[in-house]
Amino acid sequence: MLSASWVYAQGVSVSGTLTDAETGEALIGATIVEKGTTNGTVTDIDGNYQVKVSNADAVLVFSYVGYRSEEVPINNRTSIDVSLEVDVESLDEVVVVGYGTQQKKDLTSSITTIKSEEITKTPSTTPMQALQGKVPGVQVVSSGAPGSGPTVRVRGIGTLQGESSPLYVVDGVFLNDIDFLNPADIESISVLKDASAAAIYGVQAANGVILIQTKNGSYGQESTFTYDGYWGVQRAQNVLEMANTEQFVGYALATESSADESFINNAFQRYGRSRTNTSLPAVDTDWYDEVLRPVAPIQSHTITASGGSVGSRYSVSAGYINQEGMVKEVPNSYERFNFRTKLDVNIKDWIDIGGNLNVSRSEQHVASNSIWFNTYFSVPIIPVYDQTNTNASPVQLANAQNIGYRGRQNPYFNMLYSDDQNLQSRLLGNFYADIELIPNKLSFKTSYNYNYSSLNTRNVNFEFNDGVRFNESNLYKANSTSFDQIINNILTYNESIGQHSFTLMAGYLVNTQKSDRIYLRGDSIYTNPTFDNEELWYFTNPEEEINTSSSGDGGSNFNVTSYIGRVAYNYADRYLVYGTVRRDGTNKFQEKWGLFPTVGVGWVISEESFFDFVGVDFLKLRGSWGKLGNAAVPAADGEPSYQTQILAVDDQLESGVVPIKQFDYLGQWETTVETNIGITANLFQSRLSVDADYYIRDTENAAVTIILPLVRANVRRNLGSIRNQGLEMSLNWSDEINNNIRYNAGLNFATLKNEVTDLGGQQYLNAGSAEFRQRSILGQPIRAFYGYEVEGVFQTPEEITSSGLDADFVADQSLEPGDFKYKDQNGDGIIDDLDRVVLGSYLPKFTYGFNLGASYKQFDLSANFQGQNGHKILNRKRGEIIFTTDANLDAELVNNLWDGPGSSNKYPSAAGLRKGYNQAMSDYYVEEGSYFRIQNVRLSYNIRGGELMGRPLPSMRITFTAERPLTVFNYNGFNPEVSDGIDRQTYPIPAVYTIGVNLKL
Amino acid sequence: MTNFMKSNKFFLITALMAAVIFIAPSCDSILDDPRENLIVESGVDYTNMNLMRDVYQGAYYSLYNLQWETFPLISVRGDDVNAEGDQEPLLETEAFRYDRSFWMYNSVWLNLYSDIINWYAAIEEINKFKANSNNPAQANQYIAEIKVMIGYEMLQLSRLWGGVLIPESSQPNELYDSDVVPFEEVMQYISDMMDEVMPALQTVAPGQRDQLPGGVTVHTALAVKAMANLELKNWQEVADATSEIIGSGAFTLYGDYYELFKTPGKLSSENILELQYSDFGQGTGEGVRYLHAFFGPNNWTPEVEGVGGGWGFWEPSMKYIKFMLDRGETVRLETSVLFTNEGIDSLQAQPGYETLPAFISNTTRDNDVWGTTDGSANPRSIFSSGKHYLPSNQMIAGRTTYGSNKNFICIRYSEILLIHAEALVSGATSSVMTANAAVNEVRSRAGLNNLSGVSLDVVLDEKYAEFAMEWGIRFYDLVRHGRTSELNGYSEEDRFLPYPLEQLDLLPQLGQ
Repeated sequence: MLSASWVYAQGVSVSGTLTDAETGEALIGATIVEKGTTNGTVTDIDGNYQVKVSNADAVLVFSYVGYRSEEVPINNRTSIDVSLEVDVESLDEVVVVGYGTQQKKDLTSSITTIKSEEITKTPSTTPMQALQGKVPGVQVVSSGAPGSGPTVRVRGIGTLQGESSPLYVVDGVFLNDIDFLNPADIESISVLKDASAAAIYGVQAANGVILIQTKNGSYGQESTFTYDGYWGVQRAQNVLEMANTEQFVGYALATESSADESFINNAFQRYGRSRTNTSLPAVDTDWYDEVLRPVAPIQSHTITASGGSVGSRYSVSAGYINQEGMVKEVPNSYERFNFRTKLDVNIKDWIDIGGNLNVSRSEQHVASNSIWFNTYFSVPIIPVYDQTNTNASPVQLANAQNIGYRGRQNPYFNMLYSDDQNLQSRLLGNFYADIELIPNKLSFKTSYNYNYSSLNTRNVNFEFNDGVRFNESNLYKANSTSFDQIINNILTYNESIGQHSFTLMAGYLVNTQKSDRIYLRGDSIYTNPTFDNEELWYFTNPEEEINTSSSGDGGSNFNVTSYIGRVAYNYADRYLVYGTVRRDGTNKFQEKWGLFPTVGVGWVISEESFFDFVGVDFLKLRGSWGKLGNAAVPAADGEPSYQTQILAVDDQLESGVVPIKQFDYLGQWETTVETNIGITANLFQSRLSVDADYYIRDTENAAVTIILPLVRANVRRNLGSIRNQGLEMSLNWSDEINNNIRYNAGLNFATLKNEVTDLGGQQYLNAGSAEFRQRSILGQPIRAFYGYEVEGVFQTPEEITSSGLDADFVADQSLEPGDFKYKDQNGDGIIDDLDRVVLGSYLPKFTYGFNLGASYKQFDLSANFQGQNGHKILNRKRGEIIFTTDANLDAELVNNLWDGPGSSNKYPSAAGLRKGYNQAMSDYYVEEGSYFRIQNVRLSYNIRGGELMGRPLPSMRITFTAERPLTVFNYNGFNPEVSDGIDRQTYPIPAVYTIGVNLKL
Repeated sequence: MTNFMKSNKFFLITALMAAVIFIAPSCDSILDDPRENLIVESGVDYTNMNLMRDVYQGAYYSLYNLQWETFPLISVRGDDVNAEGDQEPLLETEAFRYDRSFWMYNSVWLNLYSDIINWYAAIEEINKFKANSNNPAQANQYIAEIKVMIGYEMLQLSRLWGGVLIPESSQPNELYDSDVVPFEEVMQYISDMMDEVMPALQTVAPGQRDQLPGGVTVHTALAVKAMANLELKNWQEVADATSEIIGSGAFTLYGDYYELFKTPGKLSSENILELQYSDFGQGTGEGVRYLHAFFGPNNWTPEVEGVGGGWGFWEPSMKYIKFMLDRGETVRLETSVLFTNEGIDSLQAQPGYETLPAFISNTTRDNDVWGTTDGSANPRSIFSSGKHYLPSNQMIAGRTTYGSNKNFICIRYSEILLIHAEALVSGATSSVMTANAAVNEVRSRAGLNNLSGVSLDVVLDEKYAEFAMEWGIRFYDLVRHGRTSELNGYSEEDRFLPYPLEQLDLLPQLGQ
């Protein structure tokens, strides 16, 4: 059907058939290329091909999507039939384990790898978003703001302090986040979940390690160009319905508060009465409507060139991504350029050198959190614009203060008069030389890794008058730079003697992390900033404009040196032993040195002669134990210090020093000890693969804040411990019905039990704020929500008198129908602090994901689903009423307030909402956070061997993707993904619909 | 060729391995790198006397850095003022419905005690400098001033909670085994501490000091001593201490009561202790200020357009206003209370107050207009505290934060005069000044006629008129003299607040 004979007029002609190795079915549209040239062809509908090659010694490369490629020398033949094997997640697959690689079948620890195809399915600016719901034991909490990365937790939270985010290692460089990487540049992401896998990263590995390998070419690979891109739109999902004017006025009047009544009357006076219902003010603003854009665009484009010769391989890519935010008017967007080059050269037979460089530059405009805050809270009875607010300038925005409210509310003040910009530059470099000292046995690799990052933050607020008060302009600028470098020197020795084979590795590493930060804050900028004069957003008269006490600088200098060693032993592919040891030193804590050993064993039962279960192809039991350190704990001062301050004396600026005698002392290392047992199995001719792990992870000597009596000081000591334990499982099935239809299905889930086991003698440790108490209590999850249990709402006075509550207490609190009925836990007739109990945790107890995929001829369809269960969200937005009663409420609450016996057993009366008694932290505020989501649905159409005007088309794939099209939950907010469980001002997480194209030349 | 290759390889490998071997040990020394940007105590140069002065000035920073909730909690319970706004702990405390889990209780406890602990830290540091100083008297003076601050805040703590713990060093751990000291013993402790430090203190008035004008002097110590003894009803001690202040001649009442609380009154001859704040004479840039927005109006039309208002949380009581009108007060009422039109209306709705003097207006003498003027409602406070008000035309042009550049006065000479009188009418004697003379000095500044034969009632009324909205002086007077029938909802056990729940957990002895 097709012919590639245009290239060579003469040469050798070869023909044959391509089939599936297992089924013998013909493979249609597979490519056949003469190695080292651009000459090639594709198979026809019967799997037949015919190609003319330059000479009889040429090598043909046969490849087909989803199958392993094969290279076949012609050797003077004219007919070559080839069968290709399905490239299921293969056991021979090489897994990166940190300072080396291992075959998957030899692993004794828990490592999950996600490949580039899975990663690029997710239209996101940040790569980690793609892992949501795909790796059991990894919790990914999305963030909707343009360019901002998700919160990632590996196996729960194992620290009471500091960061719980994992360590990212990108081609050897240590990073705290990889939000700046182009997802299309990533070859694979490997999650080292258990201590045994991660321990080789020692002191920085306690929260899990995620290894990222960027794409590279292959030796002897023909140069190819790839374009990968998508365009799409984002749309805010599950937007919360707020009370409209009718509902709001009904609620405000029902509170019987004279202040609220006067606000409504003032609204009548200022804005008039509604024509349809004269008992209501004329204005009925839906603030989410006013603030949210209906759709916001997103696009991403990446061009990659890669290839290789006998002695070298390379990959060069350029990427651009642009995501607009969901807020109208104000700049909120994310734009990023990524450039990358990677090169490996085999200079001599005994030395390889190589390097890669990754440059990223991003510009992010953040819609300030106060926009979300005010959008939720603004009362519906004020409009956006108010021509009668004559003092307001430059725009006559409505100000709620004009009708008596304490704040101006209208979010347009935040939108029109401010710009928050983050300009980020990242430079990642990695250079190495790999020397073979004894061929195939002993090698020495030295490498230098560099990570430069620079973040310029600029927040500007324009000068404006809100009609009540003149607000001077202000400007904040901060420059943070960090210079991290790692020098690795590694010796590796391989030996096989008979059935015994082992790999030994030893190395010395030096890691320095230096950072510096300078910030300036000032007000009344010489030229009033506006969107038209961005070039003048500078301090013109620094002496007058800059606030010295809120300007300053800072820095850190964190060093680690490490000695590492590893032994991997394998007897007859049956018995596996793996051990690593790492000795780390750091300048961060008072105890400098820590030792982190690990050991793992594996037994491949299926290799035993006695093993002959039908259908079981491979079965391995594995177990590991390991110790990790946590260097993410903030550094400890270790001794008293001096704090400088400024003060006014007789209208002169003076400086003062406050000696601080309470200080952190971390004399031990926060250490995580983890035991992991698991099985890996392949069944039914590798159609089904199973991985299951159970782990117990104890963090010992955890840095814990000790509360001192009398003094407002937090001092930390190594006295805490925390336990995380859980079961993780993943099942993957893959099969084909006939040669046109293939399908696969996968399921994964993880359980998590998080528990505080020691707090240095303290029974509990408070967290959160006094009004919304969270507490870490022995035997309970970390930072659990803590308050009263609501049993219902008092319906009648009789119910109050018969409730068992003390009559004095009832009188003191003036309890009446419509107030909460709290559970009197200790039965003393009084509801007080002694009746508080744990109300739940923000950590999900159960996370799951499943995926389905099918392909028919040129069509592929895939769908991913995920969800979380068993966690709570503090509806802090409803809780804001404690601080001000001025605000609007959500429609669900307003519509279901108690207003007479039998009306509600869930919500108090309107007046009750205002009462201190009902405002105490209780499970009224703490809601179920469970959700289920259709994460990603993608349809793709593959064009292979197409032809246009007599010329063959490049292989091409067109995709249609719906990301997060549906999320189901009961929580009364518009987003069940809240990383710390406190929903105060969360960015809506949009659904994304894209069209994508992938082209290969 | 092969040999050359091999020697080349040998050379390269040897060089690399040597580099690794030599670099390795030297790199471990980077683990000794200190923390960046942290002045650690072991690095302090104790011969640097400038640094000692900074530590001393840091003590004043702690004194001036008064968190907003501290003053209201100390001052809310009297019949001179109502808590307004939406701060539940404050509203409930005013109504004597205490709850040990109110955040404000723990916060104020920590605010006051943290200052005291940090002051002991400063004293311990100054003692280290003193060992190297050729002028130890200087260090002694610094320490003495800091101890007066400790005494002042201990007084506030004990007035709030009664029996408290007395720290004597920078180590709060030492208090785990310490007993709760009863109220009377705390007051005696403060009085003794003031006696101990007086010899080292300066004898000029605070405003006259060369170094650190407005700082603590011997008179501040005497004032704190007098206040502690007042709580003990040691009338003679009160009379002696106040006599010493009066007899020093260092103080006079500031002539203009209205301006005393505004820019002209900064560091005036009447002020014995005041917290200093400043915009440093500049309309932009650095400024140090107290959060006066707490006192400010919800709505106003300032003379200088664009100056911000406040929260309306601190409202003079109707009872106080009527009391002042009944007395025929003028400047003190005008200074203490700012009226909205609604406030005036509700006052006129009271029988007997239909006609009001002309100075009762919604416009201050500096032309700031209080409350709304379009007839719309003032939802929160209908009166504001004028003692916490800085006229917009006194603000440094360019500043728009309510009360910016205003100081906060803690102890005034008129309080000394009136507690002097209080002690004398309660039985003490003084050769320096009579009760009549003391009361009349205060009255004459207020434009009132002289009285003779003053009684305790007269003194307490005078204090009520003079000190409304200031530091709970009225509440502590009523409690001290058992006149609590003036307080709505007060019962005997309401004198002291319950210990904060967080502190009870840490210090079980508080619960015994």
